[in-house]
Amino acid sequence: MLKNEILKILLAGDGGQGIQLLSDIICRSAIDQGLQAASIPNYGLEQRGGVSLSFVQVGIKEIIYPKFTKPNILLIMSEQARARVKQHQFAETKIIDIVDFKIKMDEVGVSAKSQNIFFLGMLTKMLAAMDFCNQATVLKLLEKKLGAKLDWEENKKAFEQGLLCAA
Amino acid sequence: MSHSSGQKFMTGAEIATQAAVDAGAEMMYGYPITPVTEVFTNWIKQGQKYLQTEDEIAAGFAVCGAAMAGQKAFTATSGPGHILMQDALSMAEGMRLPFVAIVAQRGGPSSGTVIYSQQEVTLACFGGNGEGLRLVYSPGTLAELYTLIRRAFNESWQYYFPAIVLTDGYTVKTRGLVDLENLKMENVVSAPLVVEGEIKHWPNIFTFEEELYSEVMKSKTDFDKITANIATAEEYQTDDAEILLIAHGIVGAATKVAVDQLRSAGKKVGLFRPITLRPLAAARLNNAVKKVKKIICIESSLGQLARIIKDELAPDIQVSFEYLQYPGLGIEIDEIVSRVSKF
Repeated sequence: MLKNEILKILLAGDGGQGIQLLSDIICRSAIDQGLQAASIPNYGLEQRGGVSLSFVQVGIKEIIYPKFTKPNILLIMSEQARARVKQHQFAETKIIDIVDFKIKMDEVGVSAKSQNIFFLGMLTKMLAAMDFCNQATVLKLLEKKLGAKLDWEENKKAFEQGLLCAA
Repeated sequence: MSHSSGQKFMTGAEIATQAAVDAGAEMMYGYPITPVTEVFTNWIKQGQKYLQTEDEIAAGFAVCGAAMAGQKAFTATSGPGHILMQDALSMAEGMRLPFVAIVAQRGGPSSGTVIYSQQEVTLACFGGNGEGLRLVYSPGTLAELYTLIRRAFNESWQYYFPAIVLTDGYTVKTRGLVDLENLKMENVVSAPLVVEGEIKHWPNIFTFEEELYSEVMKSKTDFDKITANIATAEEYQTDDAEILLIAHGIVGAATKVAVDQLRSAGKKVGLFRPITLRPLAAARLNNAVKKVKKIICIESSLGQLARIIKDELAPDIQVSFEYLQYPGLGIEIDEIVSRVSKF
């Protein structure tokens, strides 16, 4: 992936899992790198318990159209989200599926409510390797959002474990 | 790389609210509906004056009354709410009221989907029992959403026609980088349409057909007079184009990128993107189609844009039409490139 292309990331989970938080941090981190960024959320009609998607794009070029069919990276965080994004899975798509990381997260003590932060760590590692974000900036943005909360240390640990898992 | 100091990461809804604030809007009347609810909530969060009415009918007529009193007011709605608002918009058209509405299209018919479509074009342009004497703007980008809302306030208060900024759920929900500092413009001042102490007979109902005819024809004449000042379109790579792609709104913006990709592959295509749907830049359209062999209308509806285009083409222009129509469905750049490549 060249930096002058637009990187397309589709984040999919259940409402309340923190999908939109990840989207916001990834975009703001890319902007901090001097890149363009855009995102659009997509929810169903459900008030609660529905699928929450975020179509995220980062890159040098101006982002004209907010949605896409073929993501470069697809994060799947729940069963019903997996069903919703079937049409977005292609041979060239890098898929990060929660089922493949359940054992690992249990081993390193990532709680259910910090799973999104674990995956933010993984995404950060991948995006930083392509110069789409900076690890320190992501952590700073994350701390700004969650630093004042009681479980910050737990989230920070989940982030670090995510970084290690992607390495 | 760095961004300009004025660039901010904002949603379309935040941009729309900021545009209304910068336009000098004093009041919002509305009833929440996805996908424009955030325009309302952002306006409230900013501490601006608002009234949540019992429905969109009331919101629309509240804007009519406010405009008469000289209050720069606006509303925002979508889909079924847009349908209900046609009664008030029709009154605004008949009484020549500076009525400003931000409409974010959602899928239809009926409640359809809550996200996106281009299926409210006919409703915005020709809804109600009138002649479509409205100003209808179709933004393609977040920056254009801002400038067209500013224009809607200005042109509505300058020419006394209802103005609708016809956007879509994608545009108001998208968060992107935009620099509003470079998009500032002067505001047209609002004033009461009837000054205190003045007695004015100002009907929206007439006894005689001749009276109504005279009023409608006067408005039509006024509308035709301002068309040259208001009608706006983007033409891109049209000079030597053999195929002219016509698209509006966010599909128009996507088509512009598709034109570059198709040109790189040797296809002589160009874009005509109406920025105002009412009035349409018909003179520029007719000039742009003179040399082309084919027109392809691309839209997220079953021909609502195409009908307007066909209606505005000069009778002597003979050109073949093709259509890419996806009612209620977004159209990605790759899809446009792939389909147009086959023509």
